[in-house]
Amino acid sequence: MKSLLQEEVRKSRMPARLDLLQSLSGLVLGLFMWVHLILVSSILLGKGAMNAVARFMELSFLREDGSGGYPFIPWVIAFGIFLVFIFHAGLAMRKFPSTWKQNRVFLSHMQMMRHPDTSLWYVQVVTGFIMFFLGSVHLYVIMTNAGSIDPYASADRFVTDWMWPLFLILLFAVELHAAIGMYRLAIKWGILDGEDPRVARKKFKKIKNITSAFFLTLGILSWIAYVYIGIQHRAHAGERYISSTAVEYSFVARG
Amino acid sequence: MSNHVNTPTAHGNDKGRKLRFHIFRYNPQLPGDKPRMQTFEIEEQPGMTIFVALNEIRERQDSSLQFDFVCRAGICGSCGVVINGRPDLACHTLTAKFSGGEITLLPLPAFELIGDLSVNTGKFMRSMSERIESWIHSEEAKHCDFNVLEERMDPDLADKIYELDRCIECGCCISACGTKRMREDFLGAVGFMHVARFHLDTRDQRTDDDWYEIIGDDDGIFGCMSLMGCEDNCPKDLPHQAQIAFLRRKMVMVR
Amino acid sequence: MKVVYTDSLVIGAGLAGLRVAVASKMRGLDTLILSLIPAKRSHSAAAQGGMQASLGAAAKGEGDNEDIHFADTVKGSDWGCDQPVARMFTHVAPKAIRELAAWGVPWSRVRGGDHEVVINAQRTIIHEKEEAHGLIMARDFGGTKKWRTCYTSDGAGHTMLYAMDNKAIELGIPVHERMEAVALIHEGDRCRGAVVRDLITGELIAYVAKATTIATGGYGRIYGVTTNAVIVEGMGAAIALETGKAPLGNMEAVQFHPTAIVPVGILMTEGCRGDGGVLRDVDGYRFMPDYEPEKKELASRDVVSRRMTEHMRKGKGVPSPYGDHLWLDITILGKEHIERNLREVTEICRNFLGVDPVKDYIPVRPTQHYSMGGVRTNWTGESPGLRGLFSVGEAACWDLHGFNRLGGNSVAETVVSGMIVGEYVADYCEQSTLEISTGVIAGFMERERARIDALLARPSGEKVYELRSAMQQIMMDKVGIFRTGEKLQEALDGLKDLLRRSRNIALTNKIGSSNPELVDALRLQRQLKLAVTVTKGALLRTESRGAHTREDYPERNDRDWLKRTLAYWKNEADEEPTIEYEDLDISKMELPPGFRGYGTDNTIHHPNTAGRVQQAAEIVQSMPGADRFQVQNALMPFDLPAKYKEKNERIGVGCK
Ligand SMILES: Cc1cc2nc3c(=O)[nH]c(=O)nc-3n(C[C@H](O)[C@H](O)[C@H](O)COP(=O)(O)OP(=O)(O)OC[C@H]3O[C@@H](n4cnc5c(N)ncnc54)[C@H](O)[C@@H]3O)c2cc1C
Ligand code: HEM
Ligand code: HEM
Ligand code: SF4
Ligand code: F3S
Ligand code: FES
Repeated sequence: MKSLLQEEVRKSRMPARLDLLQSLSGLVLGLFMWVHLILVSSILLGKGAMNAVARFMELSFLREDGSGGYPFIPWVIAFGIFLVFIFHAGLAMRKFPSTWKQNRVFLSHMQMMRHPDTSLWYVQVVTGFIMFFLGSVHLYVIMTNAGSIDPYASADRFVTDWMWPLFLILLFAVELHAAIGMYRLAIKWGILDGEDPRVARKKFKKIKNITSAFFLTLGILSWIAYVYIGIQHRAHAGERYISSTAVEYSFVARG
Repeated sequence: MSNHVNTPTAHGNDKGRKLRFHIFRYNPQLPGDKPRMQTFEIEEQPGMTIFVALNEIRERQDSSLQFDFVCRAGICGSCGVVINGRPDLACHTLTAKFSGGEITLLPLPAFELIGDLSVNTGKFMRSMSERIESWIHSEEAKHCDFNVLEERMDPDLADKIYELDRCIECGCCISACGTKRMREDFLGAVGFMHVARFHLDTRDQRTDDDWYEIIGDDDGIFGCMSLMGCEDNCPKDLPHQAQIAFLRRKMVMVR
Repeated sequence: MKVVYTDSLVIGAGLAGLRVAVASKMRGLDTLILSLIPAKRSHSAAAQGGMQASLGAAAKGEGDNEDIHFADTVKGSDWGCDQPVARMFTHVAPKAIRELAAWGVPWSRVRGGDHEVVINAQRTIIHEKEEAHGLIMARDFGGTKKWRTCYTSDGAGHTMLYAMDNKAIELGIPVHERMEAVALIHEGDRCRGAVVRDLITGELIAYVAKATTIATGGYGRIYGVTTNAVIVEGMGAAIALETGKAPLGNMEAVQFHPTAIVPVGILMTEGCRGDGGVLRDVDGYRFMPDYEPEKKELASRDVVSRRMTEHMRKGKGVPSPYGDHLWLDITILGKEHIERNLREVTEICRNFLGVDPVKDYIPVRPTQHYSMGGVRTNWTGESPGLRGLFSVGEAACWDLHGFNRLGGNSVAETVVSGMIVGEYVADYCEQSTLEISTGVIAGFMERERARIDALLARPSGEKVYELRSAMQQIMMDKVGIFRTGEKLQEALDGLKDLLRRSRNIALTNKIGSSNPELVDALRLQRQLKLAVTVTKGALLRTESRGAHTREDYPERNDRDWLKRTLAYWKNEADEEPTIEYEDLDISKMELPPGFRGYGTDNTIHHPNTAGRVQQAAEIVQSMPGADRFQVQNALMPFDLPAKYKEKNERIGVGCK
C-alpha cells in the first residue's frame, strides 16, 4: 500500500532529530564528566600528578622547553562543552514542567506513586536546573582563566575564591544527573537490551548506582584534597605551582 | 512437580482481621458535593479481594458508593483504581497483600471522574483508538474473501502479536505516567502498545512513514521521558519498556 | 423528552451486538449501539478457550467439515436445537473466523512438523502437515469429533472482541456507553426502540429505531456463584419478556461448566482439559474414565458436570471451607505449554488462588456458566412476537444450542449470528419506515419514570441486597445441576414470594442520578421474573435433556418433550409467566433424534423418529453419486443471505 499521506503535508521530522540530539548531547556530556572527574581527581595522586595532567591537557609535551603549553586548548574544550551544555539544557528545558500547575501535578503524582524511575526524573530536573547556573559559573571561570589550571591555582579557587560550596553542590548534581541520564539513555533506546529487556533494566540500574557511588566518592575525596591544599596555600594565594620546586610537599605525606 | 494434594494458600489465613478502607468520595452529579476521604471498617475474609470488600461495603454500609467491576477476574480492565498509591486492578488484588490492614483507594487520575472510584476510561480509550486508528489497514480487511483459505501467518509472529494484544485498556499505565499527568495531549503507553501491536502485524500495511504521522511528535513517542511507570504498573505485564524503545528507534530512523 | 432516532439500534456491545452493528453500518444504515460499559469490556472478552469452525487445518482436525460440526452440535444440544439454524451456523462459521483473521485476530497458527502433545494423560507425538503451516490452528474441546476449536492462546474472546470493536470504530459506529435499556417501546406488533436510562445522569432517553436488536448476553447472575461477569444480569431478556408479546425460549436450559475455581467461580477454560488436563478427586485419583470410558474429561459439559457432582456426592470431594471441590490437574502439560497456551489461566491461579498451575492442582467445581435460553427468535433472528425486534448472541434463543451448548460454539454463535442476522436486520430496515406517535413514546417513558420515582419515594420497605442474595441462594440450592420436582416447587414458591416483596423495595440512597442501589433494585425486580421463568420451565419439563437434569425423570422423553418452552409475561401484575410450547418437527430433521453416546440410553422415543430415520436413509440411497451438499439439501434445505451461500475452501480438499 502506498503511504497513506503522500499528498498531504508530512509531519515535521524535527521532534525526532531533537530527541536524538538530546540524547547525544547528554551522552557527550556524561562521558565528558566522567573523564573530567577522573582527571580532576589526579590530585589524589599528588600535586605533581595533577599538574602533569593539566599540562598534558595544554599539550605542553609539544613544547620542547617544557613551559606552559597552549592554554587556549582548555579554553577551546571548555567553550565546546559549554555549547553542548547550553544546547542540551535548551532541549531539556522543553521537558520541564512549564507551568507551576504542571510542576505541582507532577510532584503530587510522584508522592502518590513513590515509583523510583519517576522520582529519578525529578532528580534530573532539579540537578539539571542547578547545573545550569552553577555549571555556567564554573565554565565561565575556567574559560576566563584558561591556562591557570594547576594544583595551587585550582585549590586557591576552591578556598580563597570561595568556590568550594559551589563545587560541592555541583559535584552531587552532576554525578547524580549524569548517572541517571545514562541509565535513562539505555532504557530509552534499548540498544543494549540483549535477550531480556527487563533483566537488562535491572542490570542498568545496578550499574547506575555503582557509577554514582564511585564518582561521588572520588569527587568528595578530590574536593577534600583541593580544600586542604587551598587552606595550606592560602597565604600564598595567587602563586602558581612550579613542578621543579624543591619544597614540594604532598597532601598525602603531610596529612 | 508436586503431585501431593495442596491447599490454596490464599485461603484459610487472616480470618477476622479488621481492614480499614480509606476511600475517595465525590459525586459530581450532586450539587454542592465536595471531594473527601471516608473510612470504612470491615472484617477480612479468607481469600478476600478488593472487589469482594467493596461490594460488601456497598451492600452493608453505604449503598451510594460508586465503583466499576465487570469480569471480576482481571481480564476486562474495568476496575483500575489507585491502591495505596499504585494503580492496579481492584478485582485481582487480595487484601491479604496489605499487612497493615490499611487500604487507601483513589480513582485513577488522568481520566474524567464519574463518581467516587468510577472514572470514564471508555471515552479515553475510544478516542485513543481513533487517534492511532487501531484497526488493520489493508485491502484484505476491507474486502475479505472469506470463502477461501485465510492468509498464512508465521506461528511465532501470531504468538508475538497476541503478546501485545493482551492489553485490557485498564488505564493503569496512563495513570502511572507522570508525563501524561503533566501533558494532557500525550498519547500515553496504552497507545504506544497498540501502535507496536499493529506495527508488528504483517497484515497491517501502514509504513513507518504512516506511523510517524501518528506518533512522530512530542505528544507521541518523542514526548515519552522513559519514566517507566507504565512498565512497572501494567497489570498484564506488557513489555512497555522494550516496545517504546523499539518504536522510538523506528521513528528516529524515518527520513 | 429527549428522543434519539436511528435506523438500526443495537442493545449490547459484545461480539454479537458489534457484529450486527457492523453489518447494518456496512449496508449504509444509520447505526447506534447501547452498552452498560465500554464495548471492549463486554463479557465476550472473558472467553478463553476459543471458537469452533471446521477449518480442518490441524492434523487432528483433518477431514472436518460442516457436516461433522453440525452433527456434533445437534448431539450436543441433545436434539433440542433448531437444525436448520445449526446448518446455517456451521456453514458460516469458517467464513466468520476468516473474516476475523483479516480484521486482526492473531489466531494461533499451525506449526508444521512433529509436536509432543498430551492426549488422555499420555505424551504423544502429532505430525502437523507442512502444507498447513501458517494456517489457523485448532484445539480439542469437549463433545467434538475433531479438533475444531480455533484459539489465540487462551485469550480468544479478548482478541476477537478487540478486533470487532476496532472494526466498529473504523466504521465510525457510535457506542453510547453507560446506557441501560430499561424497556422496549412497541406499538401493535412492532418494536420501535427502547427507553434508556443514562447511568451517570439518571436521565431517561427514548431511542427510536426501525429495528432493535437485543444482544445483551446471558442471565447467569441470577445464580450466586457463576463464571459470568457481574453485569450479565439478563436485562435484555427481561425487557423482552416484559413486553408480554415477545416470548423467551427454553429459559430452564442453564449450563454448568465443570471447572470454575473455588470459591470465586472464575472459569478455567475447557482448553485446560482439551490440551490434556485431567480431573482428580480427594485421593488424587483420575475418576472420569470410570464414568465415561470413551470421552473421559472431554465428554460434553453437562455430562462432566453431572459426573463430578455424582462423584462428590460419593464422598470423594475435597473438603474446604467453601464446600467440597475436585482438582483440575494440568501439571502434566509442562511449564512451556502452560505458559504459552494457558497464560490467563496461569495468571488467574496465581492472583486469585496463590497457586502455580505448573506445579499445583487447581480447586474446581461445576458452576453456572451459560444461558442457552433467551429471547426466542426465528431463523432470521427476529422475534416471533414483535416485528422489528431481533436478538443475537447469548441473549437470544435462536436455538443453536438446544439444551446444551458445546464449548467454543458460543463465541462462534455470537459472530456468525451477528453476520447472518445482521443482514436480515438490514433488510428489515431497508423495507420499513419509521412511524410512531410521540404519545406512544411518552407512554413508555412515563411508565419507567413512575417505576423509578416509586422506588425513590418509598420511605421504608424491603432491602435490595437481601432479596438479591435470597434469590441467588434459591437458584443455587434448588435450580442447579440436579433438579427434582419437589425442590423446584419450593424454589418457585420462594421466588414468587421474593417477587412480591421486590415490589416493595425501599432504597437507602435516594438519589436519582448515578445510584448503584437504584440500578440494582430496578434490575432485581426484572431478574426475579427471569428466575421464576427458569424455575417454572424446569418444573414443568418432566424429563432430562442436556443440561436440564431431573432426578425424578432421568430419561430424555422425546415422546412428550421434543418441544421448546416459550414464556410470556402477559401482565405486569402476574406472578409467573404464561408458558406455551413449540414442537420440534421430526419430519423435517436432517438428523433424527438418537443416542448421544453418554451413560446408558434410556431415551423414550417419539413415535415419528423411526419413520424419519428410515425416510432419511432412503433419501440418501436414492441419490447415488450426489455430493454431500446435494444430499444435505435433499434432507433439509436451509436458507442464508446470498453473500454467505458459497462453499468453504479447506486445505487438501478444496471446496468439497
Ligand atoms: C468465563 C467465560 C468463558 C467463556 N469461554 C468461552 C469459550 O471459550 N468459547 C465460547 O464459545 N464461549 C465461551 N463463553 C461464552 C461466550 O463468551 C459468551 O456466551 C458470549 O461472549 C456472549 O456474547 P454476547 O455478545 O452475546 O454478550 P456479551 O459479550 O455478554 O455482551 C453483552 C453486552 O450487552 C450490554 N448490555 C447488557 N444489558 C444491557 C442493557 N440493559 N442495556 C444496554 N446494554 C446492555 C453489555 O454492556 C455488553 O456490552 C465463555 C463465557 C464465560 C462466562
Ligand atoms: C571543558 C570544561 C571544563 C574544564 C576544563 C573543567 C576543569 C575543572 C578543573 C580544572 C577543576 C578543578 C577546580 C578548578 O580549577 O576550578 C574542576 C572541578 C570541577 N568541575 Fe570542572 N571543568 C569543566 C567543565 C565542567 C562542567 C560542565 C561541570 C558540571 C556541570 C564541571 C564540574 C566540576 C566539579 C563538580 C568540580 C569539582 C570536583 C570536585 O570537587 O571533586 N566541570 N573542573
Ligand atoms: C554536564 C551536565 C549534563 C549532563 C552530563 C547531562 C546528561 C544527561 C543525560 C545523559 C540525559 C539523558 C538524555 C535522554 O534521556 O535523552 C540527560 C537528560 C536530561 N538532562 Fe541533562 N545533562 C547535563 C546538563 C543538564 C542541564 C544543565 C540540564 C538542565 C538545564 C539538564 C537537564 C536534563 C533533563 C531534564 C533531562 C531529561 C530529558 C528527558 O528525559 O528527555 N541536563 N542529561
Ligand atoms: S498497557 Fe497495561 S496498564 Fe496500559 S491499559 Fe493496557 S493492560 Fe492496562
Ligand atoms: S510512564 Fe510515561 S513517560 Fe513513557 S515510559 Fe511510560 S509512557
Ligand atoms: S473487573 Fe474486570 S479486570 Fe477487574
